[in-house]
Amino acid sequence: ILADSESAVILRLRGPLDLKCLLDSIDVVPMQKAISRTFEALRLQVKSESCVLAVCNSPVLIWPNKSVFEEISPDAPCEDIFQFIQTDDQETSGNRSAKKKNKKRVSASVINLSLMMEATKPGPVSAPILTRTVQKSHLLCATLPMDCAIWSSCSDTIKDGCERLMKALTRQLFEMEKVTLQCMKGTTLLIPEPLHFLLPEPNGLVTVVFPSGVPDKELEAQRQELHGQFELPDNKPFFRRANTYHFPNEPYKDGYLRNPHTVLTHPTLDNGKVYLVQGIYSYHHYMQDRMDDNGWGCAYRSLQTICSWFQQQGYVERGVPSHKEIQQALVEVGDKQASFVGSRQWIGSIEVQAVLNHLLGVTSKIMFVSQGSELASKGRELANHFMTEGTPVMIGGGVLAHTILGIAWSETTGEIRYLILDPHYTGAEDLPVITEKGWCGWKGPDFWDQTAYYNLCLPQRPRVI
Amino acid sequence: MGRSYIVEDDVEGYLSRLCSQLAGPVTGLLIGQSMVQRDFVVMATRTPQNNESSDGGKSVDKEWVSEHARQVSRMLPGGLSVLGVFLISESDAKETLTTLRQLVFSVENLISSERLWTPADDDVTDCVTLHVNPKTRKTVCRTFDVKDPKSMAKPADWKYQSGVCSSWATVSCCLSVDLMVPLPENMAFTRNMGDCLKGELKVWAQQIERGVCLIEGRKLPEDSELKAGQKKNVRQTISAQLLITPDVQTAADVVQRCGGCVSVSGAIHSRAFLHSNKPKAKLAEKLLKRDIVSTVATRVQMLLEEPQTQNEENKGRKQTEQFCLPRRVFCPVKSTGPLSVCDYQFSDEGLSEMTDRFKEMLDMDAAEEDLDATQEMIAEVIESEVTEESAEENEMLDPWRNNYIGVAMATAVALLALAASIVYLSDV
Repeated sequence: ILADSESAVILRLRGPLDLKCLLDSIDVVPMQKAISRTFEALRLQVKSESCVLAVCNSPVLIWPNKSVFEEISPDAPCEDIFQFIQTDDQETSGNRSAKKKNKKRVSASVINLSLMMEATKPGPVSAPILTRTVQKSHLLCATLPMDCAIWSSCSDTIKDGCERLMKALTRQLFEMEKVTLQCMKGTTLLIPEPLHFLLPEPNGLVTVVFPSGVPDKELEAQRQELHGQFELPDNKPFFRRANTYHFPNEPYKDGYLRNPHTVLTHPTLDNGKVYLVQGIYSYHHYMQDRMDDNGWGCAYRSLQTICSWFQQQGYVERGVPSHKEIQQALVEVGDKQASFVGSRQWIGSIEVQAVLNHLLGVTSKIMFVSQGSELASKGRELANHFMTEGTPVMIGGGVLAHTILGIAWSETTGEIRYLILDPHYTGAEDLPVITEKGWCGWKGPDFWDQTAYYNLCLPQRPRVI
Repeated sequence: MGRSYIVEDDVEGYLSRLCSQLAGPVTGLLIGQSMVQRDFVVMATRTPQNNESSDGGKSVDKEWVSEHARQVSRMLPGGLSVLGVFLISESDAKETLTTLRQLVFSVENLISSERLWTPADDDVTDCVTLHVNPKTRKTVCRTFDVKDPKSMAKPADWKYQSGVCSSWATVSCCLSVDLMVPLPENMAFTRNMGDCLKGELKVWAQQIERGVCLIEGRKLPEDSELKAGQKKNVRQTISAQLLITPDVQTAADVVQRCGGCVSVSGAIHSRAFLHSNKPKAKLAEKLLKRDIVSTVATRVQMLLEEPQTQNEENKGRKQTEQFCLPRRVFCPVKSTGPLSVCDYQFSDEGLSEMTDRFKEMLDMDAAEEDLDATQEMIAEVIESEVTEESAEENEMLDPWRNNYIGVAMATAVALLALAASIVYLSDV
């Protein structure tokens, strides 16, 4: 399951399978038997010779159960498939320069495959029979959203990759059967839903089947079992719905950029180390969401970036709050008068801390420096923060607010750099512009106003799963 | 520019014979393939005698002609269709034009009402009419655009040529069919079963249309040309495969009450013909998919029309019955050449009944040994199961299909009675 992430290839197989059967009786045991029989039929179906894997956007077709490979050789490495894929990925000059700049893309490449069934077969055939069963009964009719993903290393052949995918498919059907039967209440059935999670090494990419429609808070027992099974710490969520792995080259529907800092080259300091935010955040800045907050909204945007982190790590289900919602929260906690809502008044770290507490239930520590020049001496504290909490930090002072995403710090020389995400940007979600012009970039200690005082809000990660 | 019909030589002889043999107006159908640039007519068949006609067949009966067309349409594999009608009569030009116009619209409306596949934008919508004067043997060929109710007749070319039936490519496959649809809780039987099945067939037809078609094992770009069909008189069959994915069910409740279910399970042989030296992959795919949908829909329809499936008695106990769909039997159009027509054989029919029907519907003199019944076999069927002992036996019904067209006619009249205004033409 381990792979060198730069040359890793993920094979992802998706496709619908019909779960359909007539239920003579809706008593528990006969119903379970009927459902199990139907799942067994599906397992036979995916093991049959009519099962076909079609590589999306390519002419490559594979019949895994009869070793027929169209357009490619089974012994070729999986990466060879990329030659056949035609994507609409526009190679704009913008993208190209971003790719050049960033050598260490953490993400792997994905090959998407579709699960299909061949309906044709050799003749002669037996003409169809119409069977009519008349009986008061129930019909179970659902679509199983099969979704298997395996991480393949560069030495894996296409044949190996497909074998592993098919094994994963059969395993997923077993798991879906289990979840369906477990969550069955009378005639209410929940459709099992596979979700992928990227766990820390040595586990890697793992797929878990959850009953769809059940909110995270009702699945805590399942998550505890999973944490035990994968030997994960019990104070950090890994299996909430928000933690699902976002496959590379799948666009985010909301249009915000994620983790723009990953394309940057980090500074190297003598005996220095880099301490970064852990996880995924969205870049929020001036003028987004058709909100003209140019000149006053910087702290609000930093707060939004922080909220997006908590949402995407699965700590909260609530979406990122708007300026009005932030202002309303401050009125509710008594920090501001009602007239505050709809105004263009600035907020600071204390307000950020209050809103995080009120809307997200998150506590934060406040760090105060009486002069900007003192920030250079806060290396150890900030390093600890990024190591243990890993949350983005809001810093306000003078007349500006920013977000600190990490530091590069040398314990021996004391040299320090700050990875800054600047909410004052007013342009479009253009990654090359944002990184090249320093809207997300590494800054030195002179970035801060040396004489002004600063407050930092350091959000604390809840210890839950 | 008018359309151009290239017609098999034999059709000239056939029409000529009809001119000399029969008195009174003779109608019939023209069968072939319509392409954007040209049209090919491969055979003609006269409307069968209507024994129950009120005036002994002296006038042109629009419903009868349309019903014949509907039956014939079911007997044509993919790529072949009823292109239009012919009329042999001595009436003057104006009268015949009106008659032909009405016939062609009526025929097309009836045939298209049964279709489950959606017509494509680039389909030809012109239908041909041919008027032959039996005395002078003069032919007048015109077309109407059946998509436009106000369409005017446009002159068209009618040219006889030999070998029109020879250079065709055949694309075929055998396809598994597996449908299951619930029956509603309160039963008003076959009508409901028929509606349920038709609904499910429509969904299945869309699944087929969406399916990925492979020609000779590969997915070809749409405009690529297939290599078959280049040699005359050589049977060249292109094999095709179809890959499908199920529809995603969106019903809110996964488990729903029902009164049972109907399933159709088995496989069919599908075939389509393309006239061309270099047929396009896209066309082959389109025609084959249409044939797949039509052959299944036709057989289901035929089974629903059978008296024994219409027999219903549900007394609240579990009852399972099985019925065999008829199997497809092919008959070559000419002794050489790849073209064939088809018919459907129920388990209680013999091949002689097939040859009778080919004669009645398509005026073809086929011998039993000419028929190809090797593509499909009739499946084994279990006895009807009833969970409780019942005093009444299921009736033994006669496989009543003596007057084949008569049974279907009754249904057709019922359908047409609502909309049609019947036009009687005076004797010639």
